[in-house]
Amino acid sequence: MSSDVRFTDFKSDKQPTWCPGCGDFGTMNGMMKALAETGNDPDNTFVVAGIGCSGKIGTYMHSYALHGVHGRALPVATGVKMARPDIEVMAAGGDGDGYSIGAGHFVHAVRRNVDMSYVVMDNRIYGLTKGQASPTSRSDFETSTTPEGPKQPPVNPLALALASGASFIAQSFASDALRHQEIIQEAIEHDGFGFVNVFSPCVTFNDVDTYDYFRDNLVDLQDEGHDPNDYEAAKEVILDSDKEYQGVMYQDENSVPYHEKHGVTEDMSEIPDGAPEDAMDLVREFY
Amino acid sequence: MAEDLNWAVGGEAGDGIDSTGKIFAQALARAGRHVFTSKDFASRIRGGYTAYKIRTSVEEVQSVVDRLDILVALTQRTIDENLDELHEGSAIIYDGERSWEAEIPDEMTAVDVPLKSLAEDAGGAIMRNIVALGAACEITDFDVEYLDEALEKRFGGKGSQIVENNKEAARLGQEYVAENYDLEHLGYSVETTDNDYVLLNGNEAIGMGAIAAGCRFYAGYPITPATSIMEYLTGRIEDYGGHVVQAEDELSAINMALGGARAGARSMTATSGAGIDLMTETFGLVATSETPLVIADVQRSGPSTGMPTKQEQGDLNMALYGGHGEVPRFVITPTSITECFWKTVEAFNLAEKYQTPVFLVSDLAMSVTEQTFPPEAFDMDDVEIDRGKLVDDDEVDEWLDAQGHFRAHAVTDDGVSPRAIPGTVDGAHMSTGLEHDELGRRTEDQDERVQQVDKRYRKVETAQEEEDWDYREFGDEDADNLIISWGSNEGALVEALDYLEDDGIDVRVISVPYIFPRPDLSEEIEAADDVIVVECNATGQFADLIEHDVLTRVKRINKYTGVRFKADELAEQITEQLSAEVPAQ
Repeated sequence: MSSDVRFTDFKSDKQPTWCPGCGDFGTMNGMMKALAETGNDPDNTFVVAGIGCSGKIGTYMHSYALHGVHGRALPVATGVKMARPDIEVMAAGGDGDGYSIGAGHFVHAVRRNVDMSYVVMDNRIYGLTKGQASPTSRSDFETSTTPEGPKQPPVNPLALALASGASFIAQSFASDALRHQEIIQEAIEHDGFGFVNVFSPCVTFNDVDTYDYFRDNLVDLQDEGHDPNDYEAAKEVILDSDKEYQGVMYQDENSVPYHEKHGVTEDMSEIPDGAPEDAMDLVREFY
Repeated sequence: MAEDLNWAVGGEAGDGIDSTGKIFAQALARAGRHVFTSKDFASRIRGGYTAYKIRTSVEEVQSVVDRLDILVALTQRTIDENLDELHEGSAIIYDGERSWEAEIPDEMTAVDVPLKSLAEDAGGAIMRNIVALGAACEITDFDVEYLDEALEKRFGGKGSQIVENNKEAARLGQEYVAENYDLEHLGYSVETTDNDYVLLNGNEAIGMGAIAAGCRFYAGYPITPATSIMEYLTGRIEDYGGHVVQAEDELSAINMALGGARAGARSMTATSGAGIDLMTETFGLVATSETPLVIADVQRSGPSTGMPTKQEQGDLNMALYGGHGEVPRFVITPTSITECFWKTVEAFNLAEKYQTPVFLVSDLAMSVTEQTFPPEAFDMDDVEIDRGKLVDDDEVDEWLDAQGHFRAHAVTDDGVSPRAIPGTVDGAHMSTGLEHDELGRRTEDQDERVQQVDKRYRKVETAQEEEDWDYREFGDEDADNLIISWGSNEGALVEALDYLEDDGIDVRVISVPYIFPRPDLSEEIEAADDVIVVECNATGQFADLIEHDVLTRVKRINKYTGVRFKADELAEQITEQLSAEVPAQ
């Protein structure tokens, strides 16, 4: 790992096809800066991305990366981390990817507490398919597939994470560059599953959850003196549907990541040239 | 044909049928006898008829037959279910003190043993099955001491008292029969030898092969009959620095395994038909991202949930064609339990050499059948590892483009690109299910699209030339009658040859362990008068492929009752087919 890594080293030369003004630009910059700031370089970093506008993020970053199947980023990232505890693993995706098709994986990745960070670009809409309701859309949000609104409450991803036994829950705003980067850094440095829901506005299809809306309504937990180690306080903030918060809501100080609990320490890519020396023991077991 | 003995224990699920059978099978193996086991079980935890059958001989046995010599019946249903296989000389061990009155046909020998009372005398009613094993030893003139070793293996972990009680239970059973019955007229005796055999099933062989081949990461979701691969690896793979994750579903399992493989670990997942459906979503990603991954499908009866505890070979088309778009993959079908081991090793090598998903297609009959082998059949010195074009820090340079980017999907003559895993300096790259350029960046450029599609299929062409896509052969090489088979039917076919020989029918058997790519059988088929394809499915999926390859009609033997082929039954059907007309063109 070289100490002179700059965040631009994590940038690919592929030009993003995101709409001008998309929140994902800010989200990605924060991710790259946070990775560089935490001492990682592209050769020891693996980024797994989902599908959708947000899923393209892996294409615009430079590291070992996989752009996978819709909703399955977390299982892939889990496999990478288990095989290579020595590698920094980050998963990224959108609200549809993470909380709709991938909701089952989200619950289990959270409770498994694999040591990785998970960044969800939450724009409360499906952008790449041109503006349908997402699991975090407001219940009265009118879209092409919900002309009168979804008429069902949005998923609260933070509450879902809390209920699943999360060890780190945070929320950030793509446009608040410094705070966003700090929060992602904390997620990376957390020993376990570092979950960050990022408000990443869609300027093309969502005229409700806009930059202005978040600027006007966002409350920073740091300013409120919130203690992320206080589970009850975290619960209160997470279940408060009247306000939009940013900051680290909850962090379990005693978090032990999955691979450590299971005694996985070795780099699994290293194997002998033939069968392991004592492999005949496996046969003798059947005597 | 070998003098063999066919033994079974049957009762309700939860009666300890499986462990009782296994103990007897191990005792016979310790006595230097060959053993072939089969199981009847229902898809439920408690209740429902369950049986464990053993065929044993001093010569190799690799099939079940329609004959039962000794039956330990814990229920009337056990007797009823097996009436067809019982014969005049059969002995049936049962407990006359139990509430049911056994209805045993007159011509058979009823051996009424107070299993429960004797077990209680030895220390607990739970050992009644062991009492029955002692009784079986007496009937077959098999030294009860051979049971001791198997009992120690089974109960050693529970303390010496438990072991001693079980040994005592076996002796009480043996003595009871010796004192109360004179069964010499039945003529049963089991010869022993000095040979040392190991006893294992196909799933254990796949798990063992995986560890030997360097598989270190396994992710799976429980499903009959594949679960025992995961159970085998759990608790063993850790000894070699590996880990098993029980995923939340099959979608997750294959994606985790994909992640492990991209991180550089030899990775695997295993499931059965219904699970393969879910995993199909990710096949295309595995193939287009050129990830080496072994996916085992232990087939069971389908479609849908079908008959989860029954045999079938119905997933061949799925393995060959599953997934949208056109996806190159290898399909390997082990034909025996030893082949389950060796083909697993080969699957990992092929996966890494060609950076392609490899289907390892086994079936329920192999997964639950235990068989004896000389331990050399699994000689670990013969295991070779080929990691293909895995590049290290020094080799990366030759594969960088002018801007210093690693060409992970470089278009090469053989279709295989260099492979860098995380940590390799300057090897960082992107991979995706989207069509991509040499660097892995998505593209919709027509030329690049065609180049990448061609490149991926060129790997298959290269493999076709470089690897041996061979077959196994049995019987008379010059016979006019050719039988072709794949998967677990091989053992029954080999034994069917003996029956056919007795009837003066010469047969050549070709057993195919590779479905894609597969050996070219056109010469063999042209040289034969009659060609019959044998498989456990209704439509003849492999026969269809053969007809497609050679443009001629073949005869078919298909079984889809849920039960594997038996040697004697196969011989009969082959004889029948040989005199039948070839189906019209």
